[in-house]
Amino acid sequence: MLVDLLQQLFNGLVIGSIYTLVALGLTIIFGILGIAHFAHGSVAMFGGYLTYFLILALGIGVFPAMALAMAGGALLGVVLERVAYYPVRNAPPINSFIIALGLTLIIEKSNLLLFGVDQIIVPTGFNRIFTIGGLALPELRIYILLTAAALVVALTILIQKSWMGMAVRAVAQNRAAAILMGINVHAVSMFVFALSSALGVAAGVLVGALFAIAPGVSGGLVVKGFAVLILGGLGSIPGAIVGGLVLGVSETFASAFVSSAYKDVIAFLLMIGVLLVKPEGIMRRSVAR
Amino acid sequence: MIRPVLLAVVAAAALAFPHVVTANYFIHLAVLAMVWMIVAAGTNVIQGYAGYVSIAQGGFMGIGAYSSALLSLDAGVPVWLAISVAPFITALAALIAGYPSLRVRGHYFAILTLAMNMVIYIVLVNWIPVTGGEAGTTGIPAPEPISIGTLEISFERRVNYYYLVLAALALTMLIVTAVVRSRVGRVLEAIRQNETFAEAAGVACWKYKLFAFVISASLAGFAGALYAHYMSFISPAPFSVDHSLNAILAVILGGSGTLTGPLVGAALTVALPEVLRIAEIFRLIIYGFALVVVVIFLPRGLVPWIADLAGRDWKLPRAQSAESR
Repeated sequence: MLVDLLQQLFNGLVIGSIYTLVALGLTIIFGILGIAHFAHGSVAMFGGYLTYFLILALGIGVFPAMALAMAGGALLGVVLERVAYYPVRNAPPINSFIIALGLTLIIEKSNLLLFGVDQIIVPTGFNRIFTIGGLALPELRIYILLTAAALVVALTILIQKSWMGMAVRAVAQNRAAAILMGINVHAVSMFVFALSSALGVAAGVLVGALFAIAPGVSGGLVVKGFAVLILGGLGSIPGAIVGGLVLGVSETFASAFVSSAYKDVIAFLLMIGVLLVKPEGIMRRSVAR
Repeated sequence: MIRPVLLAVVAAAALAFPHVVTANYFIHLAVLAMVWMIVAAGTNVIQGYAGYVSIAQGGFMGIGAYSSALLSLDAGVPVWLAISVAPFITALAALIAGYPSLRVRGHYFAILTLAMNMVIYIVLVNWIPVTGGEAGTTGIPAPEPISIGTLEISFERRVNYYYLVLAALALTMLIVTAVVRSRVGRVLEAIRQNETFAEAAGVACWKYKLFAFVISASLAGFAGALYAHYMSFISPAPFSVDHSLNAILAVILGGSGTLTGPLVGAALTVALPEVLRIAEIFRLIIYGFALVVVVIFLPRGLVPWIADLAGRDWKLPRAQSAESR
């Protein structure tokens, strides 16, 4: 029984680490620009497909392919920001929101057009399974956990230590003051979109390696991402990390011990529960935005 | 002066339509367009007036459709009663889901409604003993015929169902007009323009938001019930998130916060793919582009834009309204 629990905990953390990656991208975009970037899930799926085809076409390993796809995703993110979100930056928030819905449709269905309707699994070649005291730890899942952890650490260093990261934090804290200090907010916006789209692509690749990529996956992914945001507090990076793991673990436990058909309902119930009890999220002491 | 004349012309055209255009295909499209007009008119209350985007309209349409269909099929409730009860069942669902969701503002709410739609969809697909799962529910009866003297009106006939949906649309527009022209409507607009100020002025905003959400949802449920008894077959597919986005597009395209805009938008979203004869996937990509382009270049929608153009030609140039930017 204990082994069972530990096994589900491990599985939950693996899935949760992917949710964290999705949520981190969403949370920095929301924290800096106040945009609920619904197309993030479709961007993630685009990255997953791209990685798959890069691996097949170039014969390279999963990590180089993922790096290339992340660069591609970053470029896509910048294009989205410039073409779609930039023109409505001063309009009421509902406008950027509807733009996001439009982008979701465009990217989601373009994926379908470009990559077909068949579900694909990103080939990794990590097939070994380690067993420690009855606990099955597949190599693939360990690598997913490590990759996600490495990306989270890299992001934290980037945001905390680099000059651009400082600019990002400054804009998040006080946009007007940041502009007065000579920070180019347009550059910050593009940087944020590039960064979060690259993270999203990484999440898409990990989903594709762990489960599969198919049309319709992105909607679920982006809702999970937002559920994490609500759980951890919109715009909070530590909140996204903790929230992602909490969602992953509770979902895994629910599907193992309650019902797997309804496991996606968990995210919704968690959101409602948090909003009723602590609307600012579990990691926030006060509402900053 | 122009307005009542225009209204009379449109009403006359709608009444005459099935006798002028007798092809079943066009009457079928008109019925679908009117069903979507009811959904869009409802969506407009929460989106156009209160300024909150609800991405659950497709799901609520599903609740209305399934509850009406199952009531008449499994419980043997007369169809007329089932259709009338369906909006209230949907309203109840919206009340329960909306109460916690509307305590938060803006994006939180939209995200929750999206999740709501997904939950509704998951339930429709997985609750197989009741909904029939992905295979759907068949043999949903049309409303019982009405006898007036010796004349019997059967709703198995497409033309008669057309008039039924037309009447439902008229009823919907009466309700929506009454709501938005009342004090409640003004409060909703105040919430859209500045919720903090409205709150500070002593308005319990959440009550009004909840009311707008429930009205929107129950109209979607009403449309869903009409759809179910018209098609006689329903499956979860038409009640997915994609169709909620369709309703949002209809409102934005036609002109949110106007009474006629969403109707025009809904008609366009039904008619365009038929006219263009394109595959489903291209249709949705075009919808996506339409959303982005309209929001960037015509943020007020087609109807206010055309009204402005018309006003410019007929009358003296009018100052750009403050709301346009």
